[in-house]
Amino acid sequence: MSDGGIRPGAAQDGPRSRRGAVPATRDRIPPNPFSRRTLLRGLSSPVGWIPGIFLVAIVGVLLLSSHFQNFGLGFFGPAWNPNPTDPSVATYGILYFVIGSAVTAGFALVLAMLLSLAIAISLVVFLPSPASRVLTSLTDLLAGIPSVVYGIWGYVILAPYFSKQLDPALSHALGWLPGFGGSPTEYAGGTGLILAIFILTIMVVPLTTALLRESLRAIPREQVESGLALGATRWEVLRRVQIPWARRSIPSAVLLGFGRAVGETVAVFMVIGNEVKLPTSLFSGSSTMATLMVGQFDSAFEYPDLLHALVEVALLLLAISLVVNLVGLRYFGSRGIVRVGVGP
Amino acid sequence: MSGGSVPLPVDIELGLQPDARVRRRVAFDRWLGRLLPLAFVAVLFPIIDLLYWIGSEALPTLSWTTLTTDPVGFGGGLYAPLTGTVYLVGIATAIAGTLGILAGAYTAEFASPRAALIGRLLSNLLTGTPAIVVGYFGYFALVLYTHSTFTLWAGAITLSIFMLPYVYRVTDAAFGSVPPSQREAALGAGSTRGQYLRRVALPIAFPQVLSGLFLAMAIGAGETAPLLFTAGWSITPAQGLSSPTSYLSGFIWNYFDQPSNLGHLVVLSFQAAFLLIVGVLILNVAVQLVSERYRRRLRGFFV
Repeated sequence: MSDGGIRPGAAQDGPRSRRGAVPATRDRIPPNPFSRRTLLRGLSSPVGWIPGIFLVAIVGVLLLSSHFQNFGLGFFGPAWNPNPTDPSVATYGILYFVIGSAVTAGFALVLAMLLSLAIAISLVVFLPSPASRVLTSLTDLLAGIPSVVYGIWGYVILAPYFSKQLDPALSHALGWLPGFGGSPTEYAGGTGLILAIFILTIMVVPLTTALLRESLRAIPREQVESGLALGATRWEVLRRVQIPWARRSIPSAVLLGFGRAVGETVAVFMVIGNEVKLPTSLFSGSSTMATLMVGQFDSAFEYPDLLHALVEVALLLLAISLVVNLVGLRYFGSRGIVRVGVGP
Repeated sequence: MSGGSVPLPVDIELGLQPDARVRRRVAFDRWLGRLLPLAFVAVLFPIIDLLYWIGSEALPTLSWTTLTTDPVGFGGGLYAPLTGTVYLVGIATAIAGTLGILAGAYTAEFASPRAALIGRLLSNLLTGTPAIVVGYFGYFALVLYTHSTFTLWAGAITLSIFMLPYVYRVTDAAFGSVPPSQREAALGAGSTRGQYLRRVALPIAFPQVLSGLFLAMAIGAGETAPLLFTAGWSITPAQGLSSPTSYLSGFIWNYFDQPSNLGHLVVLSFQAAFLLIVGVLILNVAVQLVSERYRRRLRGFFV
């Protein structure tokens, strides 16, 4: 990707690129990005792009490994039957997995955003500062718990609880809502969409909380203090000053959280039940694209078609997460929140 | 800025009684301040349950022999997965540390603003790449196309790709946060930029870089998905770098749903989970201690 060579004429900067000649200091606004000089200088800096080169390599290797096999429109259809004994009748339709991914990540995101908005606002606005500092560290620490640990906890502790207590209770109370009308056989094992959503919510909250918290904190003090000095309450300052100021961070946090949730594999696999069917309620077992990728890979070693289908699922997942992160990072990109694995 | 110290407007006692509207506004504000923090309960209660459960399952049976014997037949310990994780994370940290620190220092010091923007953006995108996708890449690039089998090498390299962007971003931020006056003084005194990086910037940025390494190690130690199809799985210790290996997260993954006649494996997987949590939390606390200490210096750049 980086030819790095000095092309003829590279040294001659046109008048338009004069701004590119300003010495590069960190705190200066980037020079005209389209000048030839900055472009060449960019191309000749592969060292700084080492992580990016790996990203490009991932995309390239996966593209090659898919052999560009065309599964037709049926790839987005509902029929998933990788019948290995007779490859000619095998069908690879990933619709149910896409639905599973969308439902788990979508619901988890809604819940996580509600929780993390409340938490971020409490931390920045309402809690006294020692408590705020301790709880900030604590929520950051939560991001460090490995996903496989969430998975085993969900499988061993939560699944029996959900099947015996929570699922029947929810079904009883909210059965009139579409999605909650499960039958007792559906929540027999406890694993399923609702448990996956629960686990994902807990796993995403530290990320979205950190993003919202830091964008609320980035507001200049004077803005807040002048509001308070004029007699507004903390809530009024929040609503009229802080939230309008930070409002662009909310969709970004949603997108980045979605990227995290949709790619989560191990914990979801352990608690979602791994059934290939159209979920009839939130209690039914399901599968996501990520769990499909981890669950069927072993059997794909010997069946090239299945392997290619799985790689194309991987590419789809990668494309989703790239787009989501690219858009989400427009707000947070320049000042990433790197601490404790939270964030872009 | 935390609101606890900000007095409410009604606290100003001038001998006047606030009218009903003011009292309503203030009461709403106070109630909101009491209700919103309840969201912590919703998040922290499950976590406390998780930690309590894993502690109560693992601690009573955890002993020194658990850590020093291999898993065998109907007993044994976690020596093989523990050493496997240490090897994997150690090699991966060496790779990701070298590449990440080089790349981060380059981006902070030498790269043009545009190149730095692109480097950071691509690195952030790599952070957002799902772990299982990185695992697929590792399988194709390091197992299938090299005509080898699952190896510790392949696992460690794949893990290092996953850890790399964290080291990179922290290093970049750390070198970028060295006060410009230091840089100007060094360059003004005639040192080259390489000398400046080594003699001036590195000592200042070092603690932060170290915390980035800890962070990457914590993330690497807990990951499962990149390893499943690269490091493979073996319950016994790896026979060298070119054979499948055992690792803690893989132990949980493989044995968490064993039937009760293999219950000892389930117990061992609880203990593996406990060891993982303890290790990862220690590393995370180290990260927080370091970055808390340097927070003021890094304010505005590294939140």
